Formats: sequence, C-alpha cells, structure tokens
Amino acid sequence: MPLASTKTHRQSAVEETIARYPDVPRFVIIKTDVQRRGVFYTDEALGLLDERLHQTTGTHIFGARDGRIAARPESLLLRDGSSIITTPTPLEENPYVVDLLDGQPWLFDAGEPVEEVDYWPAPAFYAKTSRSGVPMKNIVSARPQRLNIFPYRYCTFWNNGKGCSFCDIVEQLKKGGKELQIPARLDPVEVGEVVQEALREPGRFSSVFLTSGSIVGGKQPFDDEVDYYIDILKEVGKNFRTAKYPSQLIGTAFTKEQLQRLHGETGLTSYTSDIEVLDEELFNQYCPGKAEWIGYQEWKRRLVDAVEVFGPGRVNTGLVAGIELAGPRGIASEDEALQRTLAEAEDLARQGVSTVFIVWSPRPHTPLGQYKNASLDYYIRLTRGLHALRIKYRLPIDHDSYRNCGNHPDSDLSRLLPLWEE
Amino acid sequence: MPIVSTSPIAEFLGRAGTIASIATLDEQGAPHAVPSPFLSLDPQGRLVHLELLETSTSHRNLLRSIWFNRPVSITLTNSDREVLVITGKPHKAHVSGPLFSDYYRLVRSRLEDADLAAVWLIEPQQTRDETYAKRKSQEEALHPFHLHLDRLAVTEDEQ
Repeated sequence: MPLASTKTHRQSAVEETIARYPDVPRFVIIKTDVQRRGVFYTDEALGLLDERLHQTTGTHIFGARDGRIAARPESLLLRDGSSIITTPTPLEENPYVVDLLDGQPWLFDAGEPVEEVDYWPAPAFYAKTSRSGVPMKNIVSARPQRLNIFPYRYCTFWNNGKGCSFCDIVEQLKKGGKELQIPARLDPVEVGEVVQEALREPGRFSSVFLTSGSIVGGKQPFDDEVDYYIDILKEVGKNFRTAKYPSQLIGTAFTKEQLQRLHGETGLTSYTSDIEVLDEELFNQYCPGKAEWIGYQEWKRRLVDAVEVFGPGRVNTGLVAGIELAGPRGIASEDEALQRTLAEAEDLARQGVSTVFIVWSPRPHTPLGQYKNASLDYYIRLTRGLHALRIKYRLPIDHDSYRNCGNHPDSDLSRLLPLWEE
Repeated sequence: MPIVSTSPIAEFLGRAGTIASIATLDEQGAPHAVPSPFLSLDPQGRLVHLELLETSTSHRNLLRSIWFNRPVSITLTNSDREVLVITGKPHKAHVSGPLFSDYYRLVRSRLEDADLAAVWLIEPQQTRDETYAKRKSQEEALHPFHLHLDRLAVTEDEQ
C-alpha cells in the first residue's frame, strides 16, 4: 500500500500556515516547507522515475540529506512553474512524502495530498557522452531552465579545516568521484563542447550558471579561481553570437580588479557571492575560511564594489537561512534573528546589493548537521522581508529568479516585482 | 479536470477563423484583455494559452490567478458573429519539458525569432454562449420588462 495513504486524517500544518499568510502565495509556502523538511519518495513514486525522461540525483555539488547516492528525482516542479530544490530525507525526520495520486506525483503531508508536482525533465544531452568518455551530465548539469557548471568540486578552505560548518562539498566530492565518476576539475574546452550540445535543444535553457568551491591560490588570493572561471566562461561564450549571455557566477568575494576581469574578459552578466549569514560573529564562527581570507566587512564591501562592475540588479548575496539560529552560538529567538538579518540585508540593499536565501538543509557529516533548521513562519517572514527590501530599493532579481535559479522562496515572490524600467 | 462540457469549446475552436482573447485581473482587480492567437484545447479538456513574454501583464496576471485563486476569462468569436465566453482557472504553467518544447517550436515556426515564457493550462469552469442573436431571443423571452416600447409599437406602415 502506498505510504501516503496509511496515515490517519488530520489537518495539514502547512495548510494552517497558508491560511495565516494570505498575502504569500500558497506555492511559495509549500515550497519553503518542503525545502525545510525534505522529501521521501515512496516505491510507487520511484517507480514512475525514468532516467530517460527525468533528471535524477547525483550530479549536484552538494549531497543529499539522507547521505545516499541513488537514483531519485533531482527535484520537483510546482504547478506555477517554480521549482522545489529539495533532497531525499529519512522518514524519521518527518519529511513530505512524494507518492502517486491517479498516476501523478503528489506531495503528501500527514497522509493527506497537498499539491501536485512533476519531476524535473531530463535534457536531451543527458543521454550523451563527452569526448573524454564522461557522461555529459557529469560535466554540465541542468535545472528546468538553467545549465549548471560545477567546474571544481573542492573548496580549499578545507585545506586547513576551515570549511563552512553547513557544507558537505568535500564529502560529496569523495562520493561523487567514487560512485559516479564525476571529474573533480573540469576541462574548460570540454565544458564548452557540452554546452554546445545542450544548446541544440530548443527552448530548454535560459541561463548559464557557474560555481565551485573557493580556490585561494594565485598571485593575489583567489586569482586561480578567477582565472579558471574566465577560462570556462570564454569557452562557453564561444557558443553564442553575442558578447554577453545570460549567466550567473557564484564565486568568492573577489577584489574589484578581479571582478573587472571577470566582467571585461567574459560574457558574464551577473555576480553572486554568498556571505551565508548576515552576522559578523556567526560568519566568523560558521565560515572560518571566508573569515580568515576575506572577513565579514570586506566581504560586504566587495559586494558593493561589484555593483559598480555588473550594474544595479545584477549583484546579490545568498544566505543559508536557519544557521543563524542553530546550535549554542545561534541567535536565541527567531524575532531577533529576523530583525538582525533584515537590518544587514537592508544595509546591502541600499547600496544596490540584493539578498536571497536558501532554506538550510542540515546535511549529515557537517558540524551543524545535528541541528534543526528554523520554523516555517521564520522562513515566510524572511521571504516577505527580503522581498520588501527589493521593492523599497527597486532591485530587480532576474538573474537569480525562479527561472534562473529556483532555489529561493523570496525571489519566487519577486516574479511580481514592479517593472520599474517600463 | 474541467467541470463543464468542453464540446462547445472544441467545436468553436475547430472552425476556421475563430479569434480568441484572454482577460485577466491585475493587482487592483482591473481587467486586462489581449489576443490569444495560439489558443487550443488539450486532450484533457484544458485550454492551452501561450505567453511569449515573462513580464507581460497577462503572464503576471495569470501567475497572480494561480497564486491567489482568481478567475480568468477567455472569449472566442468567429465571422458568423458567434461568441463563446469561458470562465476558467489556471491549472498549471509549463516552463520546461516536452510539452513546453513542442509549443516553443510551434511559436518559433510561426513568429520570427519569438520566445516562449510559459504554456498555461486553464481549466474551463463555465461556458456562456454570448452570441448576440441567441442572447437577444433569450432576453426578450425571459425579461420582457427590459424592452424599449417603441420596438413593440405599431409602426406607421402598420397603421
């Protein structure tokens, strides 16, 4: 019997929350809660999964919440076209259950159907192999409308044990290398060739996305990371008729000179540098490598510098929302965490830098993995707060939207931002 | 699934020369009506409306509709002066996948260098035959007090 139908009937907690926030779309609240709690796929739901038609887990730079590498849906699409980027989660952690209803995947909570979903469709190039014999999906992966390039699956902050406390990039690299033959470092020419193949599919992709772990080396710190991105972006750029193409880089906080090189020498059109948590003390605590090499205030200053290079509405930073409340050093109350986070986000917004968040998904094998993320109410209030800042400071977020990313409840809400330029 | 019979819609759309428009509501509740040149009916009885631009008013209004449960209205007309008005509810926006790709190719085959933002599936909730001749007969039969008397008066020719 499908797992979803074995539980007793009761009012879904998420429906109660939806009723309390009539100004926030139901889809955004469901997405947020699914990201918060994760998903568990029933055998029936997995039976519908077809690797020729759907994307399956395994290509991402970060790992799953249940620590397993197995064929599960990469993520889900909601009926409003937005994505839920979520990870398989053990049943004992109370995730949503994905089961079938009349042959269609649905999210279930407490045994009750909540919302219809679709598995992410597989792009045509996923079936192909690169010239070096690697499955193309292990070189360039996909979201429903975006090409993902993870050129370097290691972060050198881990060299002296100063990786971020929520991050499992190195753990995933070990698993990915062994079990999936994902190259740790990609050949830029081969990346360009896979992108060329991906673009043969009409109407599939709207943007190119690039991120890797930080690389501290070079004449100036992080020059090696910048050089590598430039090499890749140039190879990708050979596939376009235009000098610039819709693209986003999530990189370390680079100096203005490094940013000018990225902008001037490649087709890159937007820049994101994730500060992870908007609190200096917690940043030092949870992101010791970032703190050691750059520092909280300098990270913010470099984001502001980036607005001069890439232009207003083309620069943002990301938060792993919920870590500010985690553990004994976390902020004691959600009200205070929200107030402090939004105050810092406003300081950035008034200088042209937008802030988006992802719902922190505690991963096993990370220092913060034992803690829980924040309440659904907290994430909804954060969504509203960040959206309000974008309205107040007239900051579009097209480059990190539901189309070009899909991982931020707050930028889903921005689908209805005013069109200031018109 | 649609809660009304979609056969009048299918019949209407099956005739050559049918013109479709879609009306959506903005944030203030103001209606916004635009042509829907690619409108069709899918095998499940849902209307298929294509939005070519991500920031078009109708696309944003459709999103508002699916988010906040607001209706949309689709009007079909033809050269025989027949009019069918359909009230519907947006069911799903396809932004990726085989269905989206098929319509993307269709749009680009018909419009030079066009793009496609979403394929909207709209569930018909109600249909109304607003053909003037039919509505006029109905009005006269059911609401005789709404007539102007000069229409009933004996004309000079009849005196």
